[in-house]
Formats: sequence, structure tokens, C-alpha cells
Amino acid sequence: MKNKNIAIATLVSVLLVSSLVGLSIASSGSETAKAGEVIYTIADSTGDWGYPSPHAHYPRGPGYVRMSFIFDTLVWKDTQGFVPALATDWEYLEDENAYLFHLRKDVTWHDGEKFTAEDVSFTFNYTKEHPSWWVDLKSVKQVEVLDEYTVKIYLKEPYAPFLNDDAGTLAILPKHIWQDVKNPSEFVNERALIGTGPFKLVDYSKAHGTYLYEAYENYYLGKPAIDRLKFVKVSEEMAPTALMRGEVNATNIPPETVEEVNGKGFTVINQSGNWNAKLMINHEKEPMTSKEFRHALAYAINRTELLEIAQRGHAIRGSPGLLSPNSPYYNPNIVKYEYNPQRAKDILESQGYRLKDGYYWKEGEILELELITAPRFGFERVAEIIARQLGEAGIKVSVRSLEWKTLDSRVINQQFDLAVSGHGGIGGDPSILNKVILGKFGYSANYTKNESLNQLLEAHLREMDAEKRKEIVREIQKIYAEELPALTLYYPKWYWGHDGSVDIYYTLGGIARGIPIPLNKLAFMEYQAKVEAPTPTATEAPIPGFEPAISLPVLITVAYLIKRRRKH
Amino acid sequence: MHINYWKELKKNTFGKVGLAMLISVVIIAGSSPLLARYDPGEPSHSALKPPSIEHWLGTNDVGQDIWSRLVYGARNTLLVALGVGLFTTLISTVAGASAALVGGLYERIIMRMVDALIAIPAFIVIILVAAYVLPNVWTLIFLISILTWQGGARIVRAQTLSLKERMHVYAARTFGANKLYISTQHIIPDLGPILFAVFIHSATRGVFMEAGLAFLGIADISTSSWGLMMHHALRFYYLDVWKWWLLPTGLALSVTIMAFVFIGHAFETAMDPRLRVMEREDWQC
Repeated sequence: MKNKNIAIATLVSVLLVSSLVGLSIASSGSETAKAGEVIYTIADSTGDWGYPSPHAHYPRGPGYVRMSFIFDTLVWKDTQGFVPALATDWEYLEDENAYLFHLRKDVTWHDGEKFTAEDVSFTFNYTKEHPSWWVDLKSVKQVEVLDEYTVKIYLKEPYAPFLNDDAGTLAILPKHIWQDVKNPSEFVNERALIGTGPFKLVDYSKAHGTYLYEAYENYYLGKPAIDRLKFVKVSEEMAPTALMRGEVNATNIPPETVEEVNGKGFTVINQSGNWNAKLMINHEKEPMTSKEFRHALAYAINRTELLEIAQRGHAIRGSPGLLSPNSPYYNPNIVKYEYNPQRAKDILESQGYRLKDGYYWKEGEILELELITAPRFGFERVAEIIARQLGEAGIKVSVRSLEWKTLDSRVINQQFDLAVSGHGGIGGDPSILNKVILGKFGYSANYTKNESLNQLLEAHLREMDAEKRKEIVREIQKIYAEELPALTLYYPKWYWGHDGSVDIYYTLGGIARGIPIPLNKLAFMEYQAKVEAPTPTATEAPIPGFEPAISLPVLITVAYLIKRRRKH
Repeated sequence: MHINYWKELKKNTFGKVGLAMLISVVIIAGSSPLLARYDPGEPSHSALKPPSIEHWLGTNDVGQDIWSRLVYGARNTLLVALGVGLFTTLISTVAGASAALVGGLYERIIMRMVDALIAIPAFIVIILVAAYVLPNVWTLIFLISILTWQGGARIVRAQTLSLKERMHVYAARTFGANKLYISTQHIIPDLGPILFAVFIHSATRGVFMEAGLAFLGIADISTSSWGLMMHHALRFYYLDVWKWWLLPTGLALSVTIMAFVFIGHAFETAMDPRLRVMEREDWQC
């Protein structure tokens, strides 16, 4: 009797589970493609990056990219540099300290209204009132509409990053919609998504982390080469398999799978130098307040070995000047801190430390530091190896892995000794240096002690001559490396695999303010992309009604069994 | 009247299997410097290599020998089991037995504290605390113990209350024995089997929680912990490495936990005559 009960219970649960699985498969297949439609699917491990309006997406690169498909900026970038977008041409008027933009005359908003200079002027004024995470327009004095398709933007003082950080990043909003919006971050209905861009949003699911766009027929650069663009959530580990099975067309892939993905005939593109992992040093806390002590740390860390082990070679060695050798602003003539544990020991000994039982001591206290990090980007392994290397040089290091936000807040509040963290944006405009050297963020050095460094950081923003600006930025790297408030460890190499149906590419200096994601909207335009026949995913729609047909009898059986059991 | 627990344990199939598994884990842990062929923390081999003569279970993502880490991980696991087992049993005994013997307001305070602790999810508290203190193995043993002794204390109190009323304790009291004498001479020795059960139970939970926390990344990342190994292995499950990295580690953890559970089960059967009878009937049908 008992055994019979168990058998029935097992059968019921098995049937129940299988019917549920059947139902979920059936529901996921409900969104089927029209025949002959070209769908391009992109995998993302996070999924949700917020509502793709200019003021509601999450303030991170992927959020901006999702918004950039719907909205346009005055200028844009491709592999070679700046290209016209809403503005056909532009010039800097030195004597007036203003930028003059001539706008395109054939642009329409997604709702059919005409795009004019009024929209540009409105967006600049609106953004000054409601700054977004990307653009605050502090450098802009006023905007003047000269005629329907010409605007002049006056700057308060010369501001070199204007074209990249403001004109190339600020999404232009339609005045006729946004003029009544008081709280832009809460404006999240479909009217908030009326832009001029090549795509319109069809569906967004916060819970599933999916985005579905359709091509905008009247886009001023012509109709996009694909009909629909789709972002789906796929875990980082599953992404290469999804690509090779043809479930997605493009995805970020782990370095270990590059060979396999390449071998199956997919294209792999990679980029590095836009993102850096760095060792943050709390320069406000003893003994790290001493510049020489920080140098000793740098000499004791073998960055080559570190990237060989922790990144398995998929990275470029860090430059102590922060900017990577791939940056046009890179300065190779700075102090390099080549691995030299003896030199580290000499510095420590000159500071009064004495070696005892393998570790350095001073005034009866052992030299012990805490290294904090978070379980992301393989940082735990990096921390482990740094602790080991510093230990070999006589500095005892204990490692702690914290939650990502806790790590950020402890760095901001300077409650740490050493921390492994990282940030991107260093492949774009060097204005990022101001943010990550002077700024107070979880990834910035928060270092304002060196007066000449502060002045140079101010000066390069005001220098409108590109060559002269380069000189200043080179000098900044030199002083920064000498002061060493943080040590850049390596620039990881990031890989994307795609099936070649659209030639996606990395933008020079990154999308907008330096986003290192190869999903530039221009790659999807017909005049650029060489689109091949519809991919198998687009045509391989599940037979509708098939799964429910199986699930229904199963459910009925389950109900019958449950009812029979009750009778006993 | 008196049960030879050892004999009963040996008679029980579960007990025998559990003991054999536990002994093998102890042997592996004890002889890990002999069994391991490399320093478990040494990251100087090439990374993500499949098993070979040099590396029996291959190498992990930073080029450490997985077999060496697995063998040293046994030490960590047994240390946690022993530490949590002993410490929890100690707190449970002191709190439970004293509550039953002293009684009155003291008992009520202790037991309400137990009730309050039962409502606190230990796992989440430890995750929170780990944000402020370094979660090394000793901290974890301490935290797990002070957050999970309440169940044991209830059992010990109940048993003490029942022992207190036994005839031989009454007899001792009529002969003028004081509370201290009664508790050390009669009650605590008779609690022995219950304490062993509490020990086994806490040890199991200790191993399980330590592995779970390490799996979530709450651990001193310089130790060789099985949970931590699985935490790292899972980042690479799209490669073949799970076969010799994730699987053996999971197996080792399962074997250890099963060893404790089997011993606990066999012991319970030995202690409870009713269970023994049921088990015999089960075999018959």
C-alpha cells in the first residue's frame, strides 16, 4: 500500500513537471517571425539595462547602446572617427568660442513630425535643467537657433571634449513631446521612445531582460538592413553554445572559447585598452600615504605573471600612466615599475621596516594590509595572486571578497588598504582622466594632493589644439605614474563572436563617451551591412499549438490521478 | 538496559558504510602532504589542463593542481565539521542542561532566547557579518556555532528534564546528593548518546553551511575549500573542466556529508528501540 502511494506520487510529480515544461516551451515560441523577415539576435548576460529612453536606461554602456538604436546625436563615430549624424557638418568658431552645426533637412521623428533646430536647442536647455548620467552640459553657455536647420552652441570657456562627450553623446529629444515632461526618469511610456534613430522599440521585458526593435522605414540614412533587432538574456557561459547553435547572431564570448567559435566558421573580433583593472591604494592611510611605499608595492607586483595566470594571457600589461598603448594619447616615456622585488625590499628597509620570519615589521608591528575585491571579472583570482606576490616581498596581505556595491562604497569612503577594481572609458576622450583621478567613485583614485597634476588636468580640457592637448595628457600620465595613487594592472582583451550576417565593429574610441561594445548602429545600415539570407533562427519557428496539444492530455491525466488518490 | 552503541552501530549497514566513508576522508585529510603532489596554492602550472600523469585531476583556471586542492580541502572540511560539532554541542549542553536543572526565570530567559534564535536565518546573518569581518575558517566556525546551537539546546533540555525525574536520580536525592553531584554523576553521563547525536547533526550542518557559503564566495579565498573550488569551477562549466574539477569536488563533499548523515542515522536507530524494530520489519517485508 505504502509503495503504491509512493509510486503514484512520483508519477504525478513527473507528469506535472513535464506538462509545465511543455507549457513554458509553448509560450516562449509565441513570438514568431513573419516569413522572410531578417531578425538579428544579440545575447547579453545581464539582460535588463532599463527602459531605453535617454533618461531611464541604466547608466552603463549597454544601457546607452540600447537607447542609441532609437535616438540620434548631432555627430556619431565609426571605425575612423567622427561622422555626420543629425548634423551634416560643424565647425568651431574660435573667436566666439562656439560650435556651429548645420543640420540635416530630411529627418523625421518616429511619429512623423519634422526634426528642426528647435529640437536641438530644446534638448540642450532641457539637459542643462535635467542632467543625465552621461551628459551634464556644464560647459555650455547658451544655444542660439540661427534658422530652421542651423544652431550655434556657445561654450562658457574652451572645452576640448565637447564634440565627443556632449555633441557625440547627447541624444536629441523631440521638443513636442518632452516639453511637458517634468520628471524625465519617470517618463516611461511609448511616447518617451519617439526618436529619429534607425529602430523603434516593439517590446521590452524587464523581467526577462529582452528588447525587440523593428526597423524605421524612413530613417534618413536609408532603411536598416535588418527588419528586427533582438536582445535576449543568455548567461555568459552559455553564450558561445547559443552562437554556435545559431540561436543568436552575435555575443560576447569567454576567451577560452575563441578557438572553438572561430573553428566553426564564426567571426571573432576583439578589443583591449578601453578597460583597465587596477589596484587602488588608499593614499590617505598609513603607510600608503608615503609615495615611496606605493612605489614599493608596484615593484613587488609582477604584472606580467599576473595577467598570464589570472587572465590566462588574454590581456595587455598595464601602464602605470593609466592609458593603454592603444590610446592615441599614450605616453611610453613614464616610470614603468618593472618587477623588481629587491628594489621593493630596499625601499621598505629605507623606511625602517625590518625582515623577521619572512615578513616586514616596524616598531613591533607586522606590516599587514587588507586587499578587498568583488567576485567579478575574475578579480578574486587577481587579488589572490597579488597577495601571494606581495607576500613573497615580505608584505603580509589578507584578501577579502565583498559584494560589488560594498566594495564601491568602501573605496569611496576610503575604508580600505588595497582594492582591486576596474573601469572602462579610457579608450575615448582623455576627459575620463579627470573623472578617475580626481573623482570620488568606487573606481577612481580620489587624488587631489598634487597641485601640478590638478592644473594639468584642468588645462587639457581647455586646450582646443589637438596636438598641444596630447602633450598635456602625456605629461599627466607621467606625473600620475610618479604619484601612483592607483596602479593599472592590465587591460583585458574582450572577444565578440558573430555569424558575419552583419559586420559589427568596434567604434574608434568607443561608442559615445567610450563604450567598448561593438554594436554601433551604423553597422546595421543597408549601405554598410552585407546582409545574407535569413538566418535559420528566423525561419525555424516552432509549430504553434504542438506543445499545448501534448500538455493538455498530461494535465488531464494528472487531475484524474489526483482525484483518484483522494477517493482512497 | 544498557545498550552497547558501538556494537549496534557496527551491526547497522548504514553505520558501517558511513564509518568507512568518514574514515577514508579522515585518512585523506591526515595524509594530504603525502597525497598532494604540489603546494595547493601554487599557481605556477599552465591553466585549465586536462588530467595527466603530472596532474591527476588537471589544473584550474589559475594553474593550481586540482588534486592537491581537493586533498587539502578535506582538511578544511573536517576542521569545520569538528569545530562546529564541538562548539555547538558545548553551547547546547551548557544552555540546555543548565536551563532544565536551574529552572525558573533563568530557564524562561534561555528558552525564549532559543525561540528567538530559531527565527533568525543563520545563512543570511553570516553573509551580512562577512561584509565586516574576514570570513576565515575560524570566524565561520564561530559564527555557524553561535547561530545554530538552539536546536541542540532544546533536545538537551528535554532529555535533562526527563532524566531528572528518573528513579535513580530521586534515590540519589533522598540520600542527600546536591544538584552539582547529581548533574555530574548521573545526568551528564546519561546525556552522552544525545550529545553525540547533537554533535553529528551540527557537524553535518557545519560542513553543509561552510560549503554553501564558500560557494557563494563567502570564504577566505586563500584557503582550499571545496565550496570555493565549486564556486570557481562553475565559472568555466562551458569547458570540459567540470568533469575533473566540479564533479570530484561535489562527490567529495557529498561523500563527507553522507558519511555524517549515515552515522547519525545508524546511531539514532541504535538509541531508539522502536526504530530498531521498524527497521527489522522493513527488512522482512
